Amino acid sequence: MIELKNISKSFEDNHVLKDISLTFKKGETNLIIGQSGSGKTVLLKSILGIHEIDKGQIIYGEDVYSEMNNKEKQKIRKEIGMVFQGGALFGSSTVMQNVMFPLTMFSNFSKLEMKKQAKFCLERVNLEDADNLFPGEISGGMQKRVAIARAIALNPKYLFFDEPNSGLDPQTSIVIDNLIKDITLDFNTVTVINTHDMNSVVEIGDNIAYIHEGKKWWTGSSEELMKTENKELSEFVFATKLMRSIKKNK
Amino acid sequence: MIFFYHIGKYILFMRKIIKKPQKTNIFINDFFFEIEKIGINSIVIVFIISIFMGAVITLQTAYNIEQAFIPLYLVGLGTRDSMFLEFSSTIVGLILAGKVGANIASEIGTMKIREQIEALDMMGVNSESHLVFPKVLAAIITFPLLTLFSMFVGIFGGYLAVYLTNAIPVDDFIYGIHYYFIPFYITYSVIKSIIFGIIISSVSAYQSYYISGGALEVGKASTKAVVYSSILILFFNVILTQILLS
Repeated sequence: MIELKNISKSFEDNHVLKDISLTFKKGETNLIIGQSGSGKTVLLKSILGIHEIDKGQIIYGEDVYSEMNNKEKQKIRKEIGMVFQGGALFGSSTVMQNVMFPLTMFSNFSKLEMKKQAKFCLERVNLEDADNLFPGEISGGMQKRVAIARAIALNPKYLFFDEPNSGLDPQTSIVIDNLIKDITLDFNTVTVINTHDMNSVVEIGDNIAYIHEGKKWWTGSSEELMKTENKELSEFVFATKLMRSIKKNK
Repeated sequence: MIFFYHIGKYILFMRKIIKKPQKTNIFINDFFFEIEKIGINSIVIVFIISIFMGAVITLQTAYNIEQAFIPLYLVGLGTRDSMFLEFSSTIVGLILAGKVGANIASEIGTMKIREQIEALDMMGVNSESHLVFPKVLAAIITFPLLTLFSMFVGIFGGYLAVYLTNAIPVDDFIYGIHYYFIPFYITYSVIKSIIFGIIISSVSAYQSYYISGGALEVGKASTKAVVYSSILILFFNVILTQILLS
């Protein structure tokens, strides 16, 4: 479990996060949604420790992550898998080398065992035959899947996704969403997803947190979201005709 | 104030770089990869510049000696000392600031804007040390070797110029090359090249490591890397000359 207790973050006079408290549970997909500029990326980066928070606590399991020094944080970071918006794959390394990278850095596996584990991760994301290709030679959807394979290589306890469906077509987005859901259940991870994609919200949102103007505005499940009366949340979620018609039919 | 801010930030950056590698075998692989990129890939440009500069220094000196009582072997001596004292370390350093500095800045800058550095940090990798330390160490090793290579090629360029143009007798040139040789000039040049290697690799990495934004920022970081490295090379050239030759 990850727990956020009253966290705040400012950049000079700009108060981006205001007193946010949230809980992300194990084996569930926890979604952070909100308009552009609402503070959700800052929230995600604060949870990860990329940004130092000004106030509050971030707790991973029993450990108060926000109060740890860099050395202590590195231990927790080895239990975190992160999939960045653009994939953040190393362009000069092959798909196999990208997935093997965390293993070469942090495991005591032999080369054969590393290859076996990387192969397993690539099979898990349905990319059996891409081992020797470079990131520049594969599609955006495949790059995301390689990034997921790299994120799960060390069997993480915590998985983070920043806009996993950005730049992908609707069909590929569904593939990625289902993959995230399956991996969360298989690996029993605490999965936190930062997204704009309303399809993801409806399909895989076990716990959803809506961030508005830097504050936690609403939390609930995707079923509760469809029935919400919250004005700001409704305006955000049901901004498109498609979402309005889904709500009507429900 | 901004100057002192960057000095402090650069010192903290260097403290993060010079750390025991997390995985020695990966570090060694990266180090040899950087030796190839920084050193071996610079041999051709150093060769071309050195051979032509050696030839030009020789010809200019030869054609400007009009007084009959000035011995002709001074052409060889002048070429040797110009190459040993200044050209092979400082001018080659400035050329490498353009080639190697821009390369390091664009590589790290691109990694930064594509979130690859954040990805390394998130995995628990010390990204500063992982990315920059092999480059700095490779520069420390390869720059003196390139400097020594440049000395040899520059003198050979002078010899070729004399041989092909007959500006002065070849024997006089060779005598000048041997005349009053001071071995410390080589040590002086090698020390300078080590310092220039550290400056170019670390300043270029520093300039690109903290960028945010897009491709435009990578371009700006590359330009700054070359400009600041060049200024620092010229500045430290004066300081080191005063310290080592006074």
